[in-house]
Amino acid sequence: MNWNLFVTELSAGITHGCVYALIALGYSMVYGILKLLNFAHGDIYMVGAYIGLGIITVFGGATNVHVNVVLMLFLMFAAAMLGGGLLGVMIERFAYRRLRTAPRIAPLITALGVSFFLENSAQLILGAQQQSYNSFSWPSSPIALNGFGLPAQVRVSYAQVIVVAGTIILVIALTYFVQRTQTGKAMRAVSFDREAAAMMGIDVDRVIVVTFFIGSALAGAAGVFNSIAYQQVFPTMGFQAGLFAFTAAVVGGIGNLPGSVLGGLLIGLAEAFSIGYISSTFSQAIVFAILIAVMLVRPSGLLGRAAVQKV
Amino acid sequence: MDGERDQPQVGVDEWVASHAERREQRTGLVGRVQDELERLPRPAFYLAFGVAAAFLPVFTSNGYIVRVGFDTLLYMLLALGLNITVGYAGILDLGYVAFYGFGAFGYAMLASPQFGLHWDTLFIIPVVVVATAILGLLVALPSRRLVGDYLAIVTLFFLQFFVTVYQNGNSVSFFGLTRHLNITGGPNGIPNVDNFDLGGLKISSLKGYFYAALITFILVLFVVYLVDRSRTGRAWKSLREDSLAAELMGIPVNRLKLVAFAFGAAIAGLTGTLFAALNTAVFSADFDVPTVIIIYAMLILGGAGTIGGVIIGALVVNVSLEVLRTPGHATWIFYVLVTATLLVKIRPWRWLVIVLGGTIGFGYAAHAIISSIWPSSVGGQTSVGGGLGTFLHGWVLHPKNPMMVGNVTFVILVLAILALTLLQGWQRRLAMIPTLCLAAFVWENRLVVEPSITRLILLGVILIVLMNARPQGLLGSARVEIV
Amino acid sequence: MLKRVSLIATAASVAALAIVASAVARPATVAASSALSCKKGVSIGMLAPITGPAASIGADQLHWAQFYFSQWDKNKKHVKIKLVQGDTQLDPAKASTVAQSFASNGSIVGVIGPAGSDEVQATAPILKKAGLAFASGSATRVSLTNGAWKGFFFRDVPNDGVQGPTAANYMASALGVKSGDSVMIVDDQESYSTGLADIVGQSLAGKGVKVDRESISQKATDFSSLVAKVTSSFKVVYLPFQLASQAQLFAQQLKAQGKSAIVFGSDGTFDSSKFNVNGSYISFFAPDVTTIKADASVVAAFHKQFPGATSPFGAPNYVLAQMYSSAVTTACKDGKITRTELRKDFGKVSLKSTILGTPIKFTSNGDLAGAKFHIFKIVNGKYETVA
Repeated sequence: MNWNLFVTELSAGITHGCVYALIALGYSMVYGILKLLNFAHGDIYMVGAYIGLGIITVFGGATNVHVNVVLMLFLMFAAAMLGGGLLGVMIERFAYRRLRTAPRIAPLITALGVSFFLENSAQLILGAQQQSYNSFSWPSSPIALNGFGLPAQVRVSYAQVIVVAGTIILVIALTYFVQRTQTGKAMRAVSFDREAAAMMGIDVDRVIVVTFFIGSALAGAAGVFNSIAYQQVFPTMGFQAGLFAFTAAVVGGIGNLPGSVLGGLLIGLAEAFSIGYISSTFSQAIVFAILIAVMLVRPSGLLGRAAVQKV
Repeated sequence: MDGERDQPQVGVDEWVASHAERREQRTGLVGRVQDELERLPRPAFYLAFGVAAAFLPVFTSNGYIVRVGFDTLLYMLLALGLNITVGYAGILDLGYVAFYGFGAFGYAMLASPQFGLHWDTLFIIPVVVVATAILGLLVALPSRRLVGDYLAIVTLFFLQFFVTVYQNGNSVSFFGLTRHLNITGGPNGIPNVDNFDLGGLKISSLKGYFYAALITFILVLFVVYLVDRSRTGRAWKSLREDSLAAELMGIPVNRLKLVAFAFGAAIAGLTGTLFAALNTAVFSADFDVPTVIIIYAMLILGGAGTIGGVIIGALVVNVSLEVLRTPGHATWIFYVLVTATLLVKIRPWRWLVIVLGGTIGFGYAAHAIISSIWPSSVGGQTSVGGGLGTFLHGWVLHPKNPMMVGNVTFVILVLAILALTLLQGWQRRLAMIPTLCLAAFVWENRLVVEPSITRLILLGVILIVLMNARPQGLLGSARVEIV
Repeated sequence: MLKRVSLIATAASVAALAIVASAVARPATVAASSALSCKKGVSIGMLAPITGPAASIGADQLHWAQFYFSQWDKNKKHVKIKLVQGDTQLDPAKASTVAQSFASNGSIVGVIGPAGSDEVQATAPILKKAGLAFASGSATRVSLTNGAWKGFFFRDVPNDGVQGPTAANYMASALGVKSGDSVMIVDDQESYSTGLADIVGQSLAGKGVKVDRESISQKATDFSSLVAKVTSSFKVVYLPFQLASQAQLFAQQLKAQGKSAIVFGSDGTFDSSKFNVNGSYISFFAPDVTTIKADASVVAAFHKQFPGATSPFGAPNYVLAQMYSSAVTTACKDGKITRTELRKDFGKVSLKSTILGTPIKFTSNGDLAGAKFHIFKIVNGKYETVA
């Protein structure tokens, strides 16, 4: 048993899975409230990554960072989450709000329009070139290069640790928010039955805005996580990630938050293990075959509940 | 008579009952035209479209226009097929282009040096269509257990699965038992595919393919129309509206879903053969998610569930994308559209005059003031020549190095337009003046310089605006919600 | 009311389309021998993947060509040349549609591009029928210059048939790869990459080396799964990627895991600002553009007009634009130009010195004459020529 391979694949899969999980959480939250598949969500992730890059550049660029790296990390996350959240709120306000009562497919196309708009505006303004966080060269704390050795001679880099730890923190914070606070309760009520919640005096508009803000903030954070670990930032990065995250959200049971996390991890691990053990060429096909099998066995997703149809 | 109409009739819905009143409200010439148009049977419109389209290669011998026409016809066919699945049966099929690719690769495998087969087209097309329909049935089998978005995601999985197979199918060995076979040509695709050879009649020119595509489209259109009016079509519509009620009425829901899938897939397969034959080569790049997105945009924009919507949607989206490639045309269209929108939307007339006059005046004023402060703000070039160009040169600033300024003003413009939607009344109209000047500035200096990117930005904006203004699509009918 | 508006809108849009269609209607496939007067200037079409999956490469190619022509047009004595861009989105079907528009556009006398080998195969029949010369700065498949489009298709980059064996031989001779060793070759599922990977793989297998073929997608950023497969028997990892950033990531992750295999990149990864992990090797057909002193002013002017990074596939398009302008000047000596004339003059252009650091001239087949690959080693973040 080649432990080295196994543990490396495991850590790679978990890291990737965490990024997918964060984006999938945003998808799930918005779907739970509005039954809307927000295809522009992946582009919010891309904007978050660019915001992080902007913060690095402001503080001197990757090779000679002026301030303490920890402080800079914190600023990057704060800015990306804030920026992503605001962008999500704006999209909801101007693109989706009028379509609350429209047939479901209309907001889907609007989301596609927003996605086209964001990706190509980013290419227009920021250029199509791939830019890099270059987190290998941050002085005083080479983030991605060093790490510590695990028993099977596997090195786990600090970047991977940051991603996983950050995801855990954010997921715990989200769970606390949704389960224990008033607004969280309101969110759960609105996703259960919007009209009844409105009749109970809950301000549905405000709840929707809060949901979009939180979901988009998570996507922004995911953008920064991804680029710290994997360096690259380019305008179309949201498309692929959004597709995988959408998949993760549905496979886990769309509307279900723990399910999204589980779905994200499942996809990340399936991808890593199929590259490592079966074939890197057909890894994507294998991942999708696994997912089809999962969906056939559990038609409502891993943790989803079969919806009760009221007549 | 009047008294009878005032009384609500028992058993008739209010909205339906007022149909006669709404008809009477149509007056004037437009009303007469509408009445006559309503009386015409649907196939008359399709025929009219067919005849009009048939004249296209006659009026122009520009190969590019005929090619764009061909591409648009292919998109119309695909949207028509997707209409069956999405618009009639109500199933969100995100993996539709996998069938398109299957048809194209199927034709390529049977009519190219890949396997040395060169069958007659009259044999290939039925084989490919039936094979694709069977594939559609197989893909639809999970629909028994999955509903709504879960079914959509499984169809997406199938698409990605197929894409990977197409892209890497150049060294497939079945479980290591057989030697490596080159099935789909991998990233290099399958080149040297034969042209259509219908038992001796060879189609190899662009015009020939255009007519082949047109005839195919009209035929499929008629078939779909007939199916629409048949029992199956009515059953599909009831399935779309409320599948539970349909099941209670005794409609075999599962079977209908499978048939809808297979029917749509068959149309896609047929379209794939046309695609492969014209391009004389197949590559996997065309059969991926971006194509699905474009087809959905066309379908929904035109109005899902209607047949005419398919035609309009494909025309609007594809022709816009092509026309916007050239900076000169794009500029004309931009200014004409903006002016037309203002003309239509701003009432009363004096406000229209104020806004238009104000915009022109504001532009000249800003031009004069800023160019006297920064002389380098007028050194650049306009996007069109001629009269419009001279006007623009005097009206809009053209800085020498527009990139940085252009980017910043682009962001400001987007925010300004969003803010505009928040204002009302006279505030909105006054705020339009600087916004319009800013829009012209951004257009001239940044957007029109990169037409390839701008046309996609504009497509996104069109989708957002049209969907917000008319969620049921251009020709769709607003669904009456009974609460 | 809205339905009436949409009816009117539909009628209006159809009418508008008819107007636009007649406005853009020009005589069909312009005869290759119909003469165009040089006074008003000519147009050169450019086919590149400006948006879409390869946007970082295509936009860069476009910018280099635009940069050249903007400098060229500054001189009022030169024949004015306008660059007409055509976005192919790296899709051969869309490329044929755009090629068709170039064919029907009477003012276009020559084409730069297309970028991908698939696109060349798809557009070649259309462009050849229209009598247009088309020259690519990045299509490297060997079979493209096998004679089918002789006199029409040119390229100013060497093909895979030169690069592949050079890399394989260097690995065997200088990097100590012997029979029985293992080499991992990772392609990015694009035809440029798989073509090179196949050639190098076959060449190495012929020497008795065990070749492990892997592939990743161009969007992939996490290679730790593949890196984990690299054991100590792997001497070299060959990365024929189109994106230098991916090669950088792979090399970094390889180092992070403490593997000792040497990374060897192809000409697509030749970018010292992006790929600079010490101890790696790269093959390229010209010296580093940024190290050639004579180029410093050109590169600086380019970055002033188009800030941001650039890719190794960009500068060859500058050279192509240069060659086209030279051919246009020759063809316009008599005040008139035809596509056939330009095509013939273009094939004869020979530049003694270019920003690529080597003289550029075409063979009779359209390939780059005297193509030779240099091997570079990355030392202290800089590229040093070693072969």
